[in-house]
Amino acid sequence: MNEFETLTGLLWRYSPSGREREAVKWLTARMASLGYDAFIDEAGNAVGVMGRGPKQVVLLGHIDTVEGEIKVEQAGNLLYGRGSVDAKGPLACFVDAAARVGAVDGWQFVVIGAVEEERNSDGARFAADRYQPNFAIIGEPNQWDRIALGYKGSAWATVTLRREQTHTASGSQTAAEAAVDAWLQIKSFVDAFNADKQTLFGKLLPTLRGMESGQDGFAQWARLTVGVRLPLEVSPDEWYSNLKALLNASDDDGVQVEPAGFPVPAWRGEKNNRLVRAFLSGIRSQGGEPRFVYKTGTADVNIVAPVWQCPAVVYGPGDSALDHTPHEHIDLEDYRRAVNVLAAALSALTD
Amino acid sequence: MKTVICPECEAQITLEAGAEVGEIVVCPDCGVDLEVTALDPAAVQLAPMEQEDWGE
Repeated sequence: MNEFETLTGLLWRYSPSGREREAVKWLTARMASLGYDAFIDEAGNAVGVMGRGPKQVVLLGHIDTVEGEIKVEQAGNLLYGRGSVDAKGPLACFVDAAARVGAVDGWQFVVIGAVEEERNSDGARFAADRYQPNFAIIGEPNQWDRIALGYKGSAWATVTLRREQTHTASGSQTAAEAAVDAWLQIKSFVDAFNADKQTLFGKLLPTLRGMESGQDGFAQWARLTVGVRLPLEVSPDEWYSNLKALLNASDDDGVQVEPAGFPVPAWRGEKNNRLVRAFLSGIRSQGGEPRFVYKTGTADVNIVAPVWQCPAVVYGPGDSALDHTPHEHIDLEDYRRAVNVLAAALSALTD
Repeated sequence: MKTVICPECEAQITLEAGAEVGEIVVCPDCGVDLEVTALDPAAVQLAPMEQEDWGE
């Protein structure tokens, strides 16, 4: 058996968000061949269940990638292909590791290749309501010897400012000028909030993602698209409240703040539980020196962890610096080590 | 009673009876986090470094 067959099979089936079907069908068949009870759920996720016990470990990876097909080819120990890192590498690792451990009395391993993670996480939102695991492992690239215990939250908003039309010689502030002021107010607020925060994980990280403006004979308007990465202490609702208060948002004053997309709160996992211990021992068993990592991005863990309320970690081989780049590749030796780590962790966890 | 020496400050630490491999304990003298890496004989190392990284 080719030990990289799951990984290469997934990479061969290019599956950007919204076009995952072929990869899902292939992975389902692959999992069935490895001994899983495998099926495609109502959301279109590939699901494989190993074992029939009442206690459950859910291993949630994602099968979709960003756009941009990369030729699948091996150069030495490096395997190139879209999703090799984000996140077919971690997903394939889950499939191979749980298959190696096999069915364990009293337990079931549920491996999910979720769809749409790179857009609105439809697959994970569906899974969140359907499982109640004892332990959750989420698949994202964090290198084979690191365990991610934190992902920041995320919230998007549109800020719209309206003004009556005025003559350009009047000296009145335009809607576009007011929008610039609004962004500077947001920056000033964030700078004050961040002043005593020692880590990126603890800070508000705002980005201005878009500006547009327009006018007709009677009115002018300007709109900002503002994204923010949230720390644990600021929920999406609190962020929106802060924005509204800061900008004196009200329809009467011509300022509107509207939430956009799917806001998610930050997540931080505990590091002193049985799940983390199993991973620490697993990494050391492969000669590694384990490290914890806190990420400034978001992942499906932000969606499922608040619902599942169980010990959780984010794990997977690959260097996330290669996420979404045209050079995406994975080191096969790291992949092999990650499968060994995860198999050891699952065995310890269910022992 | 299993005792270990803190690698940071050399304090003698007594592990609790139910200690597990992989457990994070805090040195009562210097406050550093330690990982229990073995129980027979007992051993500890400095707990994993905490890093920050970007990425989804």
